[in-house]
Order: sequence, then C-alpha cells, then structure tokens
Amino acid sequence: MAGALEGLKVLEVGDLVGAAYATKLLADLGADVVKIERPATGDQARRRGPFPGGTPHLETSGLFLYLNANKRGITLDLRRPRGQEVLARLAADADLLVHEVHPTEMAAHGLDWDRLAAANPRLVMTSIAPFGLSGPHASYRATEVVAWSAGGLAALNGDPARPDLPPLKAFGQQAGFQAGLNAAIGSLGALFARLSTGRGDHVEVSTQECVASILELTFAWWPYAGLVASRLGAKPIQPLCFMECRDGWIFVCCVEEHQWRRFVELMGNPEWAEMELFADRLARGRNFDALQALLQEWCATQSVHELYAAAQARRVPFAPVSTMGDLLAAPHLKARGFFVTLAHPVAGAVTMPGAPYALSATPWALRTPAPCLGQHTAEVLAEAGLDAAALAREGVV
Amino acid sequence: MARPPLAGVRVADFTWVWAGPHCTLQLAHLGAEVIRVETATRLCVTRLLPPFPRGTRPTPNASGYFNQYNQGKKSITLDLKRPEALEVARRLCAASDVVVENFAAGVMDRMGLGYDVLRALRPDVVMIALSGYGATGPDADKVSYGPAQVPLSGMSSVTGYRGHPPMHVGVSYGDPTGGLHGAVAILAALLHRARTGRGQFIDLSQWETSIAVLPEAVLEWTMCGRQPPRDGNRDPYCAPCGVFRAAGDDRWVALAIEDDAAWARCAALLGRPELAADPRFATLVARKRHEDALEAIVSEWTAQRPPEEATALLQAAGIPAFTAATNRDLAGDPHLAARGFLVALEHPEVGARTHLGVPWRMGAGDCRVRAPAPCLGAHTDEVLREVCGYDGAAIARLRAAQVLV
Repeated sequence: MAGALEGLKVLEVGDLVGAAYATKLLADLGADVVKIERPATGDQARRRGPFPGGTPHLETSGLFLYLNANKRGITLDLRRPRGQEVLARLAADADLLVHEVHPTEMAAHGLDWDRLAAANPRLVMTSIAPFGLSGPHASYRATEVVAWSAGGLAALNGDPARPDLPPLKAFGQQAGFQAGLNAAIGSLGALFARLSTGRGDHVEVSTQECVASILELTFAWWPYAGLVASRLGAKPIQPLCFMECRDGWIFVCCVEEHQWRRFVELMGNPEWAEMELFADRLARGRNFDALQALLQEWCATQSVHELYAAAQARRVPFAPVSTMGDLLAAPHLKARGFFVTLAHPVAGAVTMPGAPYALSATPWALRTPAPCLGQHTAEVLAEAGLDAAALAREGVV
Repeated sequence: MARPPLAGVRVADFTWVWAGPHCTLQLAHLGAEVIRVETATRLCVTRLLPPFPRGTRPTPNASGYFNQYNQGKKSITLDLKRPEALEVARRLCAASDVVVENFAAGVMDRMGLGYDVLRALRPDVVMIALSGYGATGPDADKVSYGPAQVPLSGMSSVTGYRGHPPMHVGVSYGDPTGGLHGAVAILAALLHRARTGRGQFIDLSQWETSIAVLPEAVLEWTMCGRQPPRDGNRDPYCAPCGVFRAAGDDRWVALAIEDDAAWARCAALLGRPELAADPRFATLVARKRHEDALEAIVSEWTAQRPPEEATALLQAAGIPAFTAATNRDLAGDPHLAARGFLVALEHPEVGARTHLGVPWRMGAGDCRVRAPAPCLGAHTDEVLREVCGYDGAAIARLRAAQVLV
C-alpha cells in the first residue's frame, strides 16, 4: 500500500533536528524528500553521533541515520550563486521546501520567498527560526539549551531542595523536535489550504514559541494569579515522585484518592499510612518529606517490574523509569513491532525507533536508509534536467 | 480575504486532559471546527485544576490550564452513559470529517462508537485513538497518566544532574508530544482522503511518540550498548554549554559556545582575551576536559549582570544566549508581544487573560486563536441543531431527560 503522502515532493535544507524531523515525518508517510547538504561536511548531525563503537564517521551518526532514513541526499553549495540557481530550479518543481537557515543568512542561501513563489506559485516554504522571522529578537541565535530556556521550560525543572543547581534542560534535542513537529503541522496545513486556493504559502515557525506553547498549566499562573512558576516550588499533590527500588527506579503516581488507597493496600496497609499527615493528596503534598522517607524505605525492598505490574493490576498508573535496555526488551513494544532495523552500507544494521503511529490504510514504512553524503546528487539533478558533472567541475555539488 | 487552511473541516473531539486537547488545538488554530464533547457528570480534569483567577471561587470555566489548550473550540455537554446520548454522538460523528479520542483502549468500541461503526455511518471518516500504550499489544490495557510517560519513555533515565537521580522535565511532556504527532497523522490522512476519497483509522501510542524524540539515547544503546549518563545541561559537542547564574533573585542565563571562534569572541567579551589561546580552553576537546574551570569563569561574568544584559552582550557577539525565562518573563517579553504570540481574548467568566497563541504563522492562510476556550456546554444547542439535525422540540426532550449534561 502507498503512503498517505505519496507523490509529495519535498526539499529540506538545515542542520540537526528541526527541518530534518519535520521532513522525516513526511518521508515516513511516503513523501519524496530530497535533503540538501553542504558539500564535503554535510549536516552537522553527521558529526554528533552516537557512533558505532564511539568512533566518529560522517556516515554513521545514529542521530543522522534516524532523522534521514527514507530521504534522498544531494550536496549543493547554497552560498554560491550557481548553487542558488540549482535550488531555485528544484523548488520550481517542488510542493514544499522546509529549511532551518538562520533568518540573517536566508538571502545569502537563495531562500528568497518572493522569488521562489513567483517561479512556483504552488510552493509552500516553511522557515524554522529560533526566535521567528520578525520581532526585536529575530536576529538572535539559539542552540538547544538556549531555545529550551528561552521558551520557559528550563526554569520549570530542577530540585526544590537544591536552589544552587541551575534550571535543567531535558535530554537530547527536544526544542528541535518540537520545532520539527510544529513545522510539519504548519506545512501540511498550508498544503491542505492549497487544495482549495491552488496557491502555496510561506509558513514561519519560531522554536522559542514552540517550546513556550507546551508549558502545561504553568504559564497561566502569571496572568491568572500573578504567581511565578518555579522549579523550586513543591508539588501540591503527592505522591508523584521517583523512588529507588532494589533493582532500579520507579515513578510512583497516585493522582486520585482511590489510587492512593490501592497503593496503601499494595504496601500491606502500613500503620503510618493512616496518619492525619497523609489524609489526602494535598496533605501528602504538604508533608512530603515525611512521606518520601517512609515510601523510600518500603520501595527499596521491591523490584521495579513486580511493583509496576502489581500497581497496574490495581489500575494505579505507576511507570518504570525505563532504561534504553528496558525499552529494547519490552514485550509490548516488540509485539507492536516498534523498533525497526535497517541495513546501512557503512554503518551496517542499525536498530532505531519506528512508527510513532499506525495508519490503517496508508502504513508508515521504512524504505531506504539515510543517504550517504551526496549519494543522489547525480540522480536528482538529472531529474531536474541539470548536468551534475558540470556542476561538480564548478565545485557547486 | 484570508481563508483558514482547514475551513470546512469538522472535528468531533472526545478527548480530555492534555494530549488529545493539544492535538485538536492545532486543528482549531488551522481553522477546523472542533467540537469538544464533554459532560458535567465527569468534568475534564483540566477544568478542575488551577490556576484560577486570584480571589475567585474555582469554576469549570475559569481554569487557566483548560483555557490555554482549548482556545478556539466549541463545547457540547452530553452524558455518554445514556443511550439517547449515543445517538447524538453518532449523528455528530456522521457529520464530522475527523473523530479524535483518548479514552482507554476499547472504551469507544463498548459505547458503540468504534471505528467500524463510524465507518459504516461515514465511510471517509478519519479517526484517531491517542492512548498511553496503543490499541494493540500485551500492555494495551495498562493505565497511563501524563506525567508517567516521561519515565516510561526512558527520558527520565537520561535527564538529570550528573550523579543525581533520574528526573522529570517540568511538564507532562508525553502529552503535547503525542498530541502534535497526532495532528501530523490527521493532516496526512486528510490530504490522502482529498486525493483518494478514503478515510482511515490511526492508532497512536504516547509511549511510542515519546521514544521517537529520544533517538540519541536509543541509538547509543543499540549501536554501543551504552546507557547515556545523566549530564545536566552539558553537551558532548559544545563547551561551555549550560545555564549560568545571573544577577538577581534566582535568575539564570543559558549560553552555548559552538566552536573555537565563538569561544574567542566570548573570551574577549569576558575581558579575558588570553583565554582564547589558553591550552586549557583553546579547543573543544580541551574545554570539555576543563569544563568545571571553564564554567566557573563564565559564571563569574554572568553573575555580575541581569540575564537580559548578558543575553544582549552575548548575542551582539554572535553567541547563542537567552534568559532562562519564567512565565512572568514570557508574559512581559516585548518580542513575543510584537510578534502577536501573546493573545488576550475576552472570555465571559475570566475576562481578557493573556494566553500563548500559535507558534507558527502563514503569509496567506488565516491561522490564529479564533476564540477563547468555550464555557462548558456553550455550544450544545447550536451543534445539536445545525450539525446533528435536531429541532427545538427534540433538543428540549433530550434536555428534560438529562441527556445534555
């Protein structure tokens, strides 16, 4: 069966996660994505790893292989006028161009919306920028930790007992993934609009705003109650906490009173659980120091997976603090076929996360491994009626 | 006249809490008509959670949490435990392009609102189930709450200060990540439907969408057999990289030095240009090796000025930096205000309160927050009449029978 986005022609320009994840989402649903990288060095993700055996190699970065499977790859020097002409030629025949070139450098890379749209009125161009394309901070730069902080999420995470420790980012490149998800949504929205208007559009995505838009209930504390949400504030409801078992960590999660009652039963109805101090979830929040010590003493004797199973059997939503090894071994994820293994010519067999959703009529599918640097340059340029050999002699590809 | 991209698309929204509402919020931003099906007999958790306007009694329409993630939607009340209500729900689904739900696996089927039933009513319907563990597999019946996805996905095991316990990330991160993936899948399915006339069913597992954003950790395990250590704000390819104390009460600034040239500019800004060539700091490898000393030098400089001043100086030198913003900082950010990201629409109960708007813009397409979040059941009559085809007498009968609560 064909993918949902079969026939959609997409170009991608950008480093690391934002643009690459946006187009990965489309490629995995059948779109024909051509990734444009700078000659010789390629996408910065190629240098980030993880690498097999810990040895850096341009073709074996795990991050790159994950983000760019199902795409074709070409090299093109967009800083040169001839490279920009080639980009314009490719864009003339594309449905969508997603890029994450900094706003101050877009013009120097041939990313001129008015010109591209004049040549192809059906084109959708999506620009991802750390602070958007307009406003007083549009020229500001960001990396992952900066974007996560600018969007307000770092300030929410820390240890209330340790005000000396800084606001903490989440693992990995989460601001990049949030930007990529939003860019995919904006792009698909504009492509849907094109069905009735016949015209493309310019979508801009601000990574700072993508992060700010997932602050849960914390943002509203200011406009509703004049309160600053802080990483140092105690949780009002408990237990919602990490506990160390004899063989790992578990997340103890009792939001509703009935969940707490069943957890108390599970612990064998200890006398302390009947104390006034722990009478309801707010009281348990106020007296969390005492509760934590008592829970920790009991949990230290338990096994993570037995406690997880026992709690779930009582409909209490505990969760293990999964390690990567736990995920790869999880029978549920195996039964759903979540992890997939793809053979890559240089990296060999690589196992990675697979379909994040199952579409019944148009399956998510992994077809080809991530491209080696410039692997499809000749093929893609020939399709566009261009002479790759001549461009190579000019040093443009 | 600008047109919303999803003009004419109707969404029957049976979701609650955050993941599902975050999914349908994206569709509302794009101009779909999103109709939330709610009931006063079991209110959406977020209608009951704070913050509420200071000095007022909490009401189901006054929660800042609910009002953030349900902007631009309609609300009807319908007690789905009543058989007559199920007929209303079926009529709503039959008139909808998209049906979204995040009940536990099997609940929609048991109510007679499963995909097979809905497909018979409307062959081209796109239906999505967003659940914690997915619709199939041995754990499909397990219960999942938003905050539990962060540990379950493995994110907690790799997030935290070096040498400290696993940590959360500050929000129920699995919810928006699942919701956004859901919106991508729905839009792709709508484009497919426009081309082929066919609808489909989408099974989304929040556990899986949460793992999908952790490739570096998963692949470090599959490629190297190694669980990545928790390492605070540090980055293997960037140093210094972190959040540093600034002047003021618990104020901090994030910055990152991506290459040696940026370090030279930073050293000059710090008034210590000699550090650029100092063998302890001249290369990334050297800076990673002496990172504690490096961070102490940076902190000494940042601690002398407010984060906004540090940001302006660093950015002027081409160095990525920004305040570790709080909700107060964001609400007062002139950049976000100038971009129209902060919106304050008049709400019948809480008045005009600042909310966060749409994180993307279109040049031609009309994407915006079209209305404040709906009061509970505000659109029940309108939707029953105009979408489900009931007349006034029929609506009155349903109301008298306590179906529309």
